[in-house]
Amino acid sequence: MSGETTDFLYPFIEGDEHDAPSLLADLSRSADAKWNQSEGLRAETLTRIGGQLADVGAAMARCFERGGQLFTFGNGGSATDADDVAQVFTRPPWGEPLPARSLVTDHAVLSALSNDIGFDVVFSRQLEAHGRPGDIALGLSTSGNSENLLMAFRQAARRGMCTVGLSGYDGGRMAQCEELVHCLIVNSDSVHRIQETQAAVAHALWAAVQSEYRPHEGAA
Amino acid sequence: MSRSDLAPSVGADLGTPAGSGFFDDLARASLALARRFAAGGTLWCASPGSAFHAHHVAVEFVHPVIMGKRALPAVVVPAGSDLVATLRATVRPGDMVVAVAGAGELDVSEAMRRGPAWGVETVWIGAGPRPPGGAADHVLWLDGGDPLVASEQFVRVYHLLWELTHVCFEHSGLLRPDTCDEEVCITCSDEGRTAEVISVDGTGEALVRTAEGRERIDTTLIDVPRPGDLVLVHAGSAISSLEDDSR
Repeated sequence: MSGETTDFLYPFIEGDEHDAPSLLADLSRSADAKWNQSEGLRAETLTRIGGQLADVGAAMARCFERGGQLFTFGNGGSATDADDVAQVFTRPPWGEPLPARSLVTDHAVLSALSNDIGFDVVFSRQLEAHGRPGDIALGLSTSGNSENLLMAFRQAARRGMCTVGLSGYDGGRMAQCEELVHCLIVNSDSVHRIQETQAAVAHALWAAVQSEYRPHEGAA
Repeated sequence: MSRSDLAPSVGADLGTPAGSGFFDDLARASLALARRFAAGGTLWCASPGSAFHAHHVAVEFVHPVIMGKRALPAVVVPAGSDLVATLRATVRPGDMVVAVAGAGELDVSEAMRRGPAWGVETVWIGAGPRPPGGAADHVLWLDGGDPLVASEQFVRVYHLLWELTHVCFEHSGLLRPDTCDEEVCITCSDEGRTAEVISVDGTGEALVRTAEGRERIDTTLIDVPRPGDLVLVHAGSAISSLEDDSR
């Protein structure tokens, strides 16, 4: 326990070792402040990228209208966000269920690829197997630097898929990736705050798709 | 900046932490988790309706996003498994259970109410209609509204739970497992202890599980309980059943 410091997280908390009520009061105040920071970043981001969200939502809606499906992926907490996105598209709280699948859920596939080749290919190799022109590849990363996402976007582009990325900080390598057509960036340098707002961006993207989606007569 | 200035493009129905006590509850839950982690406890994570939340909580503790933070034991109870049966088989006294789930999730409420018998500390994160009082040791509840906004806020809640837990680790004097600063502490008082019935024999006795381990108790003061039932034990006897008679 000694030697660790979260001072940069909670600079106003002092190290009183025996006063639980005082610590609890400090924790409560700092959590309240963090909550408001997160809410501020969420609102600022959704306002700033509102136009981009509408454009990407429209592009994704066209893919779905033509029979495309969505593949989502990410690492760590972003892997759980990828699951969240796939769940919201397939089992929405309202609107049309749309075909979506997370590429992080099959442990047999993930461990086979990691063991035989390496973790960098776990998403690109799955897109090689499943991706068709007109499908959508959506990857989430807080740093924007994950090699396996960049490889997945390159593979998706080769296969004629629509590529969408959610990134943080200044966008990282994803912002420079030519094969990633749509990059939605949450400008923050806190992984937690980025991730919290990325969940909101993903949900806003889903709402944009729903408002644009116009299934053709005879479509599946 | 006031909330009305924020103008998000979706989820205009922004749920907010229910009442000013929310962050106090969050702080108390964090200190409780830190104490249990410090004493060697494991955190079990469940979210039957949205498995990704449980996975997110677990990865947060096991592999922190902030370099240098210690890895803490947190485990997902797989979605689709029998939550109560899985936890019953695997939790040890001193462990913790955190659930992200609505108040109507029966598996979750059945698991949470067994916390005292299993010796685990329970944290229930949710939104909308609240579970009844005392449904878990720590009920961290949001007002609800848009389910997607609530889901976003759950991420915020468990991120903060992780952050505050790690802050508590810097206050080692407050992490002693014997610290008892609750107003009423069941362990220290002579009140009844919650027990879960393991098996019943025909002699008016039952084998039960409590936070202190297995013990044989007299059940002649109550109706014959069934395996899995919760009973209140005092001085070696079951003094009341904690099950709803309308079963």
